[in-house]
Amino acid sequence: MKSFRYALRDTARLIRQSVGISCLTFLTVLVVFFFVGSSFLVALNTRHVISVVEGELVVQAYLQPKANLEAVKKDAAGLPHVTGVKGISSEEALELLKARLGNQSAAVTLLGENPLPASVEVRVDKASSVAGVARELVAMQQVEDVVYAGKVAEKLARLSRFAEVFSLFLLIVASLAGALVLYNTIRVAIYSRKQEIEVMLLVGAMPGFVSLPFMLLGVFWGFCGTLAASVVLGLLYKSLVASVQSTLPFIQLLDTPGLFMKLGGFMIGTGITMSWLCSWFAVERHISDAMKPS
Amino acid sequence: MEIRMAGVTKTFGEDITALEDIFLSIPKGDFVYLVGPTGSGKTTLLRILNRELLPTRGQVLVGQYNLRKLRRTRVCQYRREVGMVFQDYRLLEGRSALENVAFVLEAVGASRKEALDRAGEVLDCVGMWRRRFLFPKELSGGEQQRVSIARSIANDPLLLLCDEPTGNLDPQTAGEIMQLLLSINASGTTLLMATHNRYLVDAYRQRVLELRMGRIVRDQERGRYEVDEEL
Repeated sequence: MKSFRYALRDTARLIRQSVGISCLTFLTVLVVFFFVGSSFLVALNTRHVISVVEGELVVQAYLQPKANLEAVKKDAAGLPHVTGVKGISSEEALELLKARLGNQSAAVTLLGENPLPASVEVRVDKASSVAGVARELVAMQQVEDVVYAGKVAEKLARLSRFAEVFSLFLLIVASLAGALVLYNTIRVAIYSRKQEIEVMLLVGAMPGFVSLPFMLLGVFWGFCGTLAASVVLGLLYKSLVASVQSTLPFIQLLDTPGLFMKLGGFMIGTGITMSWLCSWFAVERHISDAMKPS
Repeated sequence: MEIRMAGVTKTFGEDITALEDIFLSIPKGDFVYLVGPTGSGKTTLLRILNRELLPTRGQVLVGQYNLRKLRRTRVCQYRREVGMVFQDYRLLEGRSALENVAFVLEAVGASRKEALDRAGEVLDCVGMWRRRFLFPKELSGGEQQRVSIARSIANDPLLLLCDEPTGNLDPQTAGEIMQLLLSINASGTTLLMATHNRYLVDAYRQRVLELRMGRIVRDQERGRYEVDEEL
């Protein structure tokens, strides 16, 4: 406890006495985590846009003339990956056709008896599930035919897989680059204290006692930098969403209520962990060098 | 702490031999002057005893510690029992004189108050109490040296290594520091002091080890700075 109190006091001293390097570390953390957060948002939005498009995919199953619409609906709803089922009776189908034909709807009366079959519209969770659900529907006895955009679903499924890999790759690259920049900045900050670390060890201080203030310093700047990055990113993203909504309404950017609390939490958590590890590696390296007798 | 060195040689690079084949035994509580010209190996010997350097050959035993085989945590424990006054002071630039001394005590687990009280006491002993809030850059060489001495004795070390502790002091202050070192030695601390100060060695006669070209050329009880012709 005495050591921890000492470490807190010494961390405050380090902050006061190295304003220049502290500002540099703060700015580095801010910029690094702004880009990590931006990458995360790009990844989330890519996935969101694809999932919106996937949600529009529908498998249309046309029923046998005597089929029980409710029973088919129930069976279809029980299939895996199905997110919604809508039944359309033959009468409703006729009404829809009339509505679509508009002022030429009178032509429908020439058909005499309603020739349109009842159908169910099945929505699935993702594009890659479409083919499987379509096969299950075809296999049902009361279903006569199934229509779905097979090629589109296939392309969308490929795009979705690519987006998943790309998002992960983007996040890993941004995090690694961030960690590297952060490590080097903290290393430079600690290098300016190299002599101090050496003297501390020469007079008998334990490595943990020497390193704790430097690690707390890293955590402090990690917290401040990521907090500032979260706020800046949040404000910029909000204005981007507003401007996209007014100019390109067909593009729906992700804007769920708790998004920035979660993103901020993720960034601050990652920032603190990364800063702690980078400080530990950097200070440990100096301590190892200083402890090694020549 | 008792010191024993057997066949200690230290070379830097291929052709610089700082110490050569040193055999030495210093009993606990001894006061030993290390004398000799610049480059004779005095500082190297002290740095080996502070475990800043490892001998190229030979064994060094200090108390219960074999300095060749110390692990990292044991090095810290060992250094807590050893005080060292560095030739270049090595004070922590960002801390006041008081904090420089208190740091050593906090590092070994003293509370802030205990550390500051004790730091004040030892700074008073070296005549630096009035300047305790000044930073190293604001102190003269002699004052920094006195803070360095205060830091080295704050912990009541069992072994005190002093590399030219009076090098930047006027004769009167040097005499006062010498009295302080003798009183520390009288309490049982083994003390090794590298010095060029002929007056002090001759005035306060103790065991003298003279080094030349890395070898011990004289080991004399109650010796003088130069070879004592009377003996």
